[in-house]
Amino acid sequence: MKRDTVRFWSVLGLLVVLQFTIRSRLGNERVAPDFLLLALLIYTTRSRPGASAAAGFMVGLISDALTPASFGAGALAHTIVGYLSSYAKAVFFAENLLVNSGLIFAGTWLRNLIVALASGKFAGPQLEWELLVWSPLEALTTAAAGVLILTVFRQWLPIRLEEP
Amino acid sequence: MALGADRYATRGDTLVFLSSLALSLVAMSLPPSFRDAVASGMRRSVLWPLLQLQDQTEALRTSHAQFVQVSAQRDSAVLAAAQVQQLRSENTQLRDLLGLRTRLGVGFVPAEVLHQAAVTDRLTLVISAGSRQGVRPLAAVVTPDGLLGFVSVVDPVTSMVATWAHPDFRASGMAADGSVYGILRPSEASGPTDWLLRLDGVPYRQRVPVGSVILTSGLGGVLPRGIPVGSIVGEITGENDWERTYLVRPAVAPGSATHVMVLVQPGQGDLRSAFGDSAGRRPRP
Repeated sequence: MKRDTVRFWSVLGLLVVLQFTIRSRLGNERVAPDFLLLALLIYTTRSRPGASAAAGFMVGLISDALTPASFGAGALAHTIVGYLSSYAKAVFFAENLLVNSGLIFAGTWLRNLIVALASGKFAGPQLEWELLVWSPLEALTTAAAGVLILTVFRQWLPIRLEEP
Repeated sequence: MALGADRYATRGDTLVFLSSLALSLVAMSLPPSFRDAVASGMRRSVLWPLLQLQDQTEALRTSHAQFVQVSAQRDSAVLAAAQVQQLRSENTQLRDLLGLRTRLGVGFVPAEVLHQAAVTDRLTLVISAGSRQGVRPLAAVVTPDGLLGFVSVVDPVTSMVATWAHPDFRASGMAADGSVYGILRPSEASGPTDWLLRLDGVPYRQRVPVGSVILTSGLGGVLPRGIPVGSIVGEITGENDWERTYLVRPAVAPGSATHVMVLVQPGQGDLRSAFGDSAGRRPRP
């Protein structure tokens, strides 16, 4: 049990390191995968909704500290996404690769939607293109990265990738 | 490891969720000064190792490209260096003859842009230079193409830059020949890939041709005069307006900026000569 916990946190730590190292090499900043959000969504797979909401708040606060143009909006968005992700997994229970990738996609898009609306910095065509083009692309790459991580570390994460 | 099949939200979960939401709303309503202090404190403490890691990674990425570039420039530099001393002494003699004080060159601090994942990354950027390098608040941040923004918050080793896309950005602009002045601010009519500025407050009797380069005017004393901001791409003046409004395509794209220079000497004078090549060049889309 202790070894599983260490492995689990190692994967999350790896994702944090990836966020601050290779993310900038993965193409356009707007569509590169968000490893920090991915770490949060993976964390919610084994946590209660309350703990997931608190973790989301912390991740959001980190995001806000790095982009204070929308201070607080990131915390709000990540809190909601963390809570809903944990709650949704409990409701759906079908913890396979497809469902998880779908949840990552939806979580990323929802996070960007809330940040864009709550920050109040986007309007008109900027908002439309942010939500209909750039956010889906980022959600897609984040989901793809999530699939890769879940596949590579399937033994280390408490996620069942195949149906029994 | 338990998968948590019974993990429907309990009362405690709901309480934590609502508390986190409340704290988020409190964070959103904080006064800018307190908000910046909190963000700065986090960047100086828990985020400092991660920002250092990102800084080192960026430096590593560019080191190879820089090596090739430096090697190519070395031969040219050797040739040019042979003439520098002669030019400097000639310059000093001429200045002495004219009785002018030797003007200081433009002081700047180079920095790397540490892009983040948030959708608002184009509005505020983290750069890898802070107060230890001499960066101060409201210092202009430029690239070889022109103005990127100004420093909004300074930490010891990093700084926060409010780019021209930030809704609070305002700058006094002028046509390259100094004939027309106006106020530059982000345009709400921007498209998905082209975020634009607008030049407000141009007198109705004055027209600015499409393609005209817009520079900072230096009025207000915050941004130095003569930094290219962009070029005119159209006019959006209404029929009943008392003044003309122009759309300006910015010279610098915040999303693609990787290296910047922070102008740290107040009162640099007119910088048109420093951006001589860029001012006449069509800005990147």
